[in-house]
Formats: sequence, structure tokens, C-alpha cells
Amino acid sequence: MKQFEWANATSVQSAVKLLAEVSADEQNESARPMSGGQDLLTTMKERILVPKRVVNLKTIQGLDGIDGDASTGLKIGALATLAEIESHPEITKNFPGLAQAAHSIATVQLRNVATLGGNLCQRPRCWYFRLPHIVCLKKGGDTCYSEKGENKYNAILGGGPSFIVHPSDLATMLAALDATVSINGPKGPRDVPIGKFFTLPSDNASVENVLEDAEIVTQVQIPASAFAAHSTYVKFKERSSLDFAMVAAAAAVELAPDQTVRQARLVLGAVAPIPWRVPKAEAALIGKPLNDDSIKAAAELALDGAKPLEHNAYKIPLAKTLVRRALNSLKTA
Amino acid sequence: MAATKPSATTKPAPPAPLSWGPNNKHRLLNTRLPRVDFPYKTTGTAIYSHDVKVPGMLHGRILRSPYAHAKITSLDLSPALKIPGVKTAVARVNVGDTLRFEGDPIAAVAAVTTEIAEDAVHAIDVKYDVLPHAVTAEDAIKPDAPPVYPNDKAVENNTRHANARGDADTVADALKSADAVVEAEYRTPILHHCCLETHVAVVDYSGGDTATVYCSTQGTFSIVPDAAESLGLTASNVTGIVRHMGGGFGSKGGIGIEGRLACELSKQAGAPVKMALVRRDEFVMAGNGPGSWQKFRAGATKDGKLTAVHIEQYALGGLGRGSLAGQPYVYHAGVVYRSAGSIHTNEDSSRPLRAPGHPPACFAMESLMDELAYKLNMDPLEFRKRNLTDDAHLRQLDRGAKEIGWIRRSQTPGATPGPLKRGFGCACGIWGGGGGPQCAVDLKVAQDGAVNVSCGSQDLGTGTRTYMVAVVAEELGLAMSDVKENIGDTRLGNGNFSGGSTTAGSLSPAVKVAAMNAKTEIAKLVAPLLGAQPADVVFADRKVSANGKALDWTQACAALPAAGIAVRGQWKPGLSAGGAHGACFAEVEVDTETGHVQVVRMIGIQDCGLPLNRLAVESQINGGMVQGIGMALLEGRVMDAKLGVMVNSSFMDYKIPGCLEMPQEMLPLIDDDDTRQQVVGVGEPPSIPPAAAIANAVFNACGVRVRELPITPDKILMGLA
Amino acid sequence: MRDSKKKDPRQSGYSRRRFLQGVGVAGVGALVAEHPLLRAAETPPPLPDATDRPISGNIAIVLNVNGQPRKVTVEPRTTLLNALRNNMDPPITGPKLVCDMGTCGGCTVLLDDKPVYGCLQLAIDVVGKKITTVEGIGTPERLSPVQAAFGEHDAMMCGFCTDGFVTSITGLLKANPNPTEQEVREACKGNFCRCGTYPRIFQAALEAAKAR
Repeated sequence: MKQFEWANATSVQSAVKLLAEVSADEQNESARPMSGGQDLLTTMKERILVPKRVVNLKTIQGLDGIDGDASTGLKIGALATLAEIESHPEITKNFPGLAQAAHSIATVQLRNVATLGGNLCQRPRCWYFRLPHIVCLKKGGDTCYSEKGENKYNAILGGGPSFIVHPSDLATMLAALDATVSINGPKGPRDVPIGKFFTLPSDNASVENVLEDAEIVTQVQIPASAFAAHSTYVKFKERSSLDFAMVAAAAAVELAPDQTVRQARLVLGAVAPIPWRVPKAEAALIGKPLNDDSIKAAAELALDGAKPLEHNAYKIPLAKTLVRRALNSLKTA
Repeated sequence: MAATKPSATTKPAPPAPLSWGPNNKHRLLNTRLPRVDFPYKTTGTAIYSHDVKVPGMLHGRILRSPYAHAKITSLDLSPALKIPGVKTAVARVNVGDTLRFEGDPIAAVAAVTTEIAEDAVHAIDVKYDVLPHAVTAEDAIKPDAPPVYPNDKAVENNTRHANARGDADTVADALKSADAVVEAEYRTPILHHCCLETHVAVVDYSGGDTATVYCSTQGTFSIVPDAAESLGLTASNVTGIVRHMGGGFGSKGGIGIEGRLACELSKQAGAPVKMALVRRDEFVMAGNGPGSWQKFRAGATKDGKLTAVHIEQYALGGLGRGSLAGQPYVYHAGVVYRSAGSIHTNEDSSRPLRAPGHPPACFAMESLMDELAYKLNMDPLEFRKRNLTDDAHLRQLDRGAKEIGWIRRSQTPGATPGPLKRGFGCACGIWGGGGGPQCAVDLKVAQDGAVNVSCGSQDLGTGTRTYMVAVVAEELGLAMSDVKENIGDTRLGNGNFSGGSTTAGSLSPAVKVAAMNAKTEIAKLVAPLLGAQPADVVFADRKVSANGKALDWTQACAALPAAGIAVRGQWKPGLSAGGAHGACFAEVEVDTETGHVQVVRMIGIQDCGLPLNRLAVESQINGGMVQGIGMALLEGRVMDAKLGVMVNSSFMDYKIPGCLEMPQEMLPLIDDDDTRQQVVGVGEPPSIPPAAAIANAVFNACGVRVRELPITPDKILMGLA
Repeated sequence: MRDSKKKDPRQSGYSRRRFLQGVGVAGVGALVAEHPLLRAAETPPPLPDATDRPISGNIAIVLNVNGQPRKVTVEPRTTLLNALRNNMDPPITGPKLVCDMGTCGGCTVLLDDKPVYGCLQLAIDVVGKKITTVEGIGTPERLSPVQAAFGEHDAMMCGFCTDGFVTSITGLLKANPNPTEQEVREACKGNFCRCGTYPRIFQAALEAAKAR
């Protein structure tokens, strides 16, 4: 890693000030906030990011709480660890998909330290991005090398000019739970629905979300809903022991007393630069029972518009399988 | 031996050949012995080269080429040298030199911390003239491909043809009358050793005449010539040490370029230097296992005879020639035409990788055998047996088939109802090995009874220390805890280089001879105390006895001189042999809706003559199966053809198997029907057949024949689409 | 194939500077021209210290390692792993540097009894926490049940992954004294072994659980 200044922040306000006051010639030198550091440090070790200052958020009190319940909705501090999220009784019972998503991430060693905020803000896994000596489009160069190169793990939806897939499992699941992301920064606090938090590369290929300079995620809220308790996260990994998702699917369903679908949420992960919500597939389920036919139809619709690159057409049948399996597991209340 | 009256016409009888005795009559050998070094390896007290810290030690770091092919147009180390804490730097290339692969070392620095060394490497100012490259075999063989070896007349279109054997026309004729013909190309990618301990050398030199070099290497004695030359010292003033090493698998010999650069830095700085490769460097400049491209046309008759094989083999070894075992591997064919060569690319040269050339050759041939069997509608196991003559293979196949439950297998792929499909596959391997006379073992017995056996040889994790102790303890009638060992130091007796599965066969006989020599010496001294002849003295139960009298070990040793005794042992013939076989069976479950392949059960059978330590042999067999899972399902270097770089040079993206890739049951079986009373090394043979067995099981499960490893989910899904 | 006009990804350099042309450490803290590790450290208030004050350069800290207070001088960028292995004297070398990216588990240590990657902790960030390395779990003279079970079941070959596995499993058994084999696998999936000793590692873990 390059040398940097380290500051233990005492409050969100001071953290923002500590981030804002460092000027950087280049984007990758900007001051960075750090919580668990499990992704930030890997980018710093290879000098993908070379922040002049790292601001420790863990010394801020009150950012790591998990509060609320099924009837009030949840408020999860950005510094809550993945280990805390996967085992929290309120989450495992009433927001099970979120617990499953947290549990599916990486390994015990990582989850003991990694946090909600860091997981949402982690950088992509595209190997061209991660290779220190390749200046791809996202890093300020002029070519996305995955587009015509080794793109087995890249996007089949929403891609262009960068074809990364978003790596966060929590993001995909939270998108299915209608979450809201609370941000604070030099211009003060603001809330952003998760569907607007992540951004497509067509907006700005060098970032993955709406955070502006010196802004940090402080909390995520998940509203009470009739479908949160009936949620699931299905993640397929090429290597089960340790891997990012090859494809993932988050689903949540509210069933009416007659077992037909009243509300549905369906989001695909690892297929697009953002969590890929599929409203057409959701709409097709409304009013229908969850059976093989309706599930199959939804799975087909979910992949509508998919444009595979040379090496990733397999993601289409794989994503359909995961959608089917996710919805199948929600057949009964 | 009966006494004979000396006679002018009778030659003295030759000494009885040395023998270990029947395999089932050992007290310690051929039993399950915990490793004698486990207390150190489990408590962080085993010191690997990577752990060595000496006073004043600097940390080295290498700058390597980011390009597959480039000329250096300028090189300026001074910005690095200006950084506080950077002590020295050395260039390995000159302006005008050409770099020929991503990873080609350019320069090295030494600094007081690893962090500052990394700063220094980033500060070096290099300018390149980027040249065209070819980093895939397909690109390399094109007529307009840039030549990797432009001046080598033996290379055309980056292809080096080696030899050809047999007559192609005869084979073509034979194919005409075959009942089943398979024409297939098989590919395996470049693989990586992925030793957990990266290549590392610590050069403990501070100017002057002597140096000690710690190096993670497969040959203790291979350290000294490299280091002495680089340091400009006489060899006898350089000590090489490798007491523990974190894996070699064929990639580590001598001190490597990293060790040489460490030596130069150390010389320049007048201070010790530790040079450990970082993981990305390890992937692109520390060797790899060559890939393969094999094109078959083969035929069989309906009675299950393999009648004709036409095979073109190419080893893909980057700058190197790679290696590829010959075809039709273990099987007998009526007529064979085989041509073999290498395709060169702008990639770092391959190095031996555990049974070099065999796993890829086995994968191709065993896939081919299966494909022919299915075409004949014959049980692939039966088809194999009809084309094997070696008893060991036949009985190993039978045993494996029984253990895995081959009888549960369906001849029709995809027969299991539902999306989760089960299948079975098998494969065989063959290896040489053996042992030679390089090892000189020293055995000391002290007057207080302490026993110490030593040899400069090394232990890659194979269990060398443990069998050294066991051989001595068994020979002298002692417990394992009575014998101490020393290895991995050039101040000890000569040791062999660990390669080819020859260490056990080279070292254990020398240890036995040393132990026998010790017995002879002790017997001479103790016999008079027992009122017996030396030839009557027996060493057993921690006692030395004869003539109805016994002394316990410590009492007996009191009869030794004050300095104890010291004997040497060298290898003698008869105690080791080459010639290992091996078979592997796999049962897999393929999720046809996701493409996921899970190995459910895996069985490896290995013959090894006399197993010195059953626990260690079993672990080797397990290890081969685990690496086979990686080769079959997960591993392979991925190159970006345009950029000329390896895109998956990390442990996240080059995927070695972990806990969840393990089958429910993994069963290592020692083939005790091999009653050879000789040590046959098994470091490599168990890693040969597993990947092939898995590939065949996948086809049996779901009907998708993947001819290019690894068999990843995308290939299954696209194969089923 | 060669197009000298085309912007080369490596020569444009990320952030539009030449990749291999660094600018040293300009503008970030003070460096002196003597041996940094011998330089008298600044005298900051003891860490952990939430003062909002940025710190840089060489910092003297005390880490609680295996029940002992260990002084060490580090920079902010020094990982816990490197602090243990390189900066400390005598060094602690049980946790290994294998991948340095949190992808192999060779550097596993216990932080307040929980397994974490030593290579992905900054040393200054773990001041005040309880750090346990494999050396603190047992010694050759007094092996822990996990370490003894590893020996009995031959759960190691080269041994380079072993310290990490022993540490992960020790952490597991603290939290879950009676795991199933599947739970052992899940707990250890962050630890990788190239020699292929996994099956025996699982047996050793289950044996050790019984022994407690």
C-alpha cells in the first residue's frame, strides 16, 4: 500500500470533514472512509486506490446498531458486521432473505469484520479492474477490456460502456426488500431508495453508486412489508468454498389467503452493473399461484433483454434456474 | 549363512542382498505414524524460509514486465534509490534487452521494510517499446504470429516438433476396419502449483567470506551453487538451509531468479536480504504446469480391442518445451502413430508440476477410452481391462470398482431422474520413480543413549523426517521418541533433489544402512558385556540382548566411547524400486440446471511397494485426489490474448479447491497386493488419474463430454443447451 | 498488431500518470532519511484514540498478542500480519503471508476470539483488541486438543496452511463446541490447503471437539 494518513473519526460530521478536507489530483487519491476494510484494503494493496487519507468510521458511536422488527421495519447501521446481520434473531426470523444473503458472503474470517456499508460500496471484481497494471475504462482508460475480451463473469444486462457486474449480495437482497440508503456528507444527510443508489455505467463508468465526494453511507432502512418475512436469497458460485456470485437471485413474495401472489419482488444479482430488478417478471406473478407454470414464465421474463457477451451466455439459463428455485422455495408461507 | 571351509577353489559367497523383509512384518514401518514434526507445524514454531528474520535484514521486491513482449528503451533506478529506507537496487536487464513474457524480471530493490520496497518498485522509471505477442496456442500457430524464438530453426509457426513414432498410413488403414472410431481434440490449460509458501530466499550475508542462504526449494544442495556464484563466494563457505518448506510440487529448484537477485542485492548492500515473491508475481514468474493440446483419431473393434491410435500431442509450456507423457498412455493398442511437440507462447516457461506431463496425457487418453467404450456400448471399465496387461492395473481397477460401487452405475448417461444426475468414472496412472545413491546419512549414538539421524535432504511435506526416525527406531529396537532427526542443511550429509518421487527411494535405504552400521558398531562394543559374539546381539524392545542376558538401551550405550559412535550410511540396491501404478474412481453429482459438479465419493488406490508410513502415503493419495478436483473442475490460467496478460493471477480468480469442494467421502487405499519389499515413491503417482476419473464421471452423469478442462458450470450448461 | 498511436493501458497509467513512475510519498506525512524503524516515533496519545486527528509516519503502539503486551512501531499502512511477522522483535511467524488479500486463510488470527484475516487488519486498527495467534493456542510441550488431533490424524503435510486451520478451528470450537462435519467445513471454507489435507482436517476438528 502507499502511505496514507489515518484518522479515527469521532462523529459522522467529523468524518465528513476529514474526508472533504483532503484534496486529490486524481479520483483514486481521494480520502476514503473505512469500516471493515475487507475490500478497501485489497484495492489499496494493489494501488488501484491510493487514498491520501483513510478515515476510520468504527470509532463513531452508534453506527452499528440493528433496530426494529417486522412491524416497524429495520434500521441497520452501516457499521453492522455481516456476522451480526446473518445471526440477528429479528433478521433470521422476519427478513430471512437478508440473513441468507449475509451468510452467503465469503468466509467466516471476512464476515466477522466486513460491514453493511462496506459491502454496498465495494468495488467490482472484474479482473481487468483488479489488475494493477491494466488501465481499463473504469479506471480512467478508454477501453472496457471485458467487452471483447475474457468476459465470462461480466454483465448480460445493463452493460455498456463498462460491463462489470455489481458484486454485493446485500445490495441485491436489499433491492428486493425496498430498502432505503441513508447518506451523509458535506451537503448534509439524504436518503436514497436503493433502486436509485446504484448507477449504471452509462451514467458514469468510473463509479458504481451515487455517493459524492466525502459522502458516507450511515444506515439502511428496510420497511415493514408483507413480503419481507417471505424472502429468500439464492446464490450460485463457481467455487462453493470462496467465490463471488456467478449469478444470484433475491425474491420476496406476499401470498394472499388463496395462495395467489399479491406482491412480488424479484432481483437478479451478478448479471448487471447494478442489482437488476425485474418488474415485468414480478407483474406476471401477481394474482397467480406460485406453481411450475407461473414460476417458469416469470423466470423467462426475468431474462428478457439479456444480451450475452462472447463467453457469458450460460448466465441466462443459470439465472432462470435460480429464479425458479428462489420462487419455488416461497411456494408456501 | 552356513560356515564353509575356506578352499582355494571356492569363491567367498556374496553378501545376502539387503532386504526390508516382508512388508507385513514391520513394527514401525508400514504402520500409521504421526509426523514427528507435527508439534512444530501446528504451533507456529516450524520456521520456514518465509519466517526467517536475521538482524539487519532488508526486504527485497522485484519489478517485472507488465507486457508479454517488449523492449526496454530506458531504465532508471534512481527515483527508487532516493526513497528513504531503500538501500540498494539492481537491474537484471539492460536498455535494449527484450522482455518475453508478463512477469519477466527487470530489476530488484532492497529496503528496510516490505512497504518501502514496494514503494521503490513503483518508483523505478522504465520505458518500453511494446512488441507484438502471442499468448494463446491458437494465436501462436497462425502464420503471421510473432515468433517467440525467431532464430531457432527447429521452431516453425511457434511450433517445435519433437519426434514421431510409428507409421501414420498403417494406422489409417487399421482405422478403416475399426467398429468404432473416435476423433477428438482434448485441451488442458496451463495450471499453477499454488504453493502456499511463495518462492523465497533469505540471503544472510553481510559482506565477508561466508553466507547462509535459507531457501524454499526442493533441493537443499541446489542452494549452494546458485548462491555461491551470485555472491562470488566459494561454495564451501556457503551454507544452504531448508528445514521446512511450504510446498514445491515441482516448481522450486535452486534459489531461482528471486534468490539470485537477493544475492546481488545483499552483496551490494552488504546486508542480509529476504526476497519473497508476492502472490501475483508467483503466478507469472515462478513457473506453471504446462497445458496440452492433443488430437486423437482412434479405433476399436467390437470385442473391445483398441486397434489403432493416431495422436498428435502439443505441450504448451510458454517459453519452455513443457512436457506430455506419451500415448496411448497405459493402454495397449494394435498400431500407434504418435507425434509430439511443443507450441511456444510469450508466457513464462513451465516447470515440472507433480508427475509432469502425466495428468494431461491421462485425461486425454482416459476420456478417449471412455468415448470409444460408449460408442461400442461397452462398460468403460471392461473396455479398459481388455487393453491392459499389467496385473497391478487390473487388480486396482477391480478393487476400486468394488469400493465405489461401480455396479450402481448406469451405462446410459443422464439416467438419474430429476435435475441432479449421478455418474461414475475411472482412470489409471503410471509412474517411474525409484531411488539413487545421492544420500549420505549420518547416525550418531551418544553414550547417554541419544540417537540422532541426519541428512541434508529436505521434506516438502512428504514426511521425510518421520520415516528417517522410523527406519532407525525399528532397526535399533527403539521407540519413535528415542530418535531425533536433522535435515535440510548443507552441513549435513549429501541429499538428493526431490523430483520424480525419488526421495524416499534414495534416502530410506541409506538410513537403513546407517542403522545397520550402527548396530554393527554397538554390537561389537556390547557383545563382550553379554558374553556373546557380536553376530548374536539382538536389538529389540529398547534392549540390547544376547546369550539370555539383556541390557536396556541406556545401559548398553554406556559401553560406547565418551564421544559415542558416528556411522554413515549410503544407498544400496535392493531396497528401492521404481514402477508405480494407481487408479482413481469418482462418483459425481451434476446439477443439470446450474452446471455445478459435486464430487460425491472418490477413491484412490496406489501401490508403493513397502509403505514407509501408511498415514503419510494415504495423505499423498488424498492430496492427489484433491489436486485432481482442482484440475478437473476449477483450475486454469486465463490469458487475455490482446493484452498478453494473465487475468486470473490471484487466489480469488485462480480457484484451487477448498473445504466445500471435498466429497462426502474420500478414500485413500494402499494396494497391499503389491508385496514388493522395496520402497517405491508416491509423491506424484496419486495425482495422475483423478481429474480423468472425474471427467468421465461427469459424462456418465449428464451426457456432456467436456474435452477442455476445467469442467466449469458454464460448459455443462452450454453443453446441455 | 502494433499501433503506437493507440493509448497503451499500462503507459497511460491509472490516474493518467505513468504506472511505473511513482512520486514517492510526497505530501503525505513526514519521512526522515534515517532508518524508519529506528526513528523515534511520534508521541501521539495512545490508540485506540478517537480524536479526529490524522496521524501518519511511524507510530509506536502496543498490541495485546497472546496475552502479552507487545510494543511495535508501525505505519498506518502496516497490516497486523506484517506487524507480527516483520516489525516485531522477536517476530511472531505462526500466521503466514500467503496471498495477502484475504483469500486463503493462511494469516488467520483470532481477534477478540473471532477468526479474522491478519492481512486485512491494519495494526493501528487493532490496538486494544485481544489478538491470539497459533502460538497462543498451544506449544510443542503443551499442545491444545486441536493441535494434538492434527498430529493424530495426519492433518498436515507441508504445514504452511496448518497454523491458519488450527486457529480457525479453535475459534469455531469456542463458539460452537460440538459442530457437525458440515459446520466444520463451513467454518473452514476460508482456509485453503494445496497439499490436500482437508479430509483429515475435518476428522481432526471433530476429534478435538470430542476431547474438550
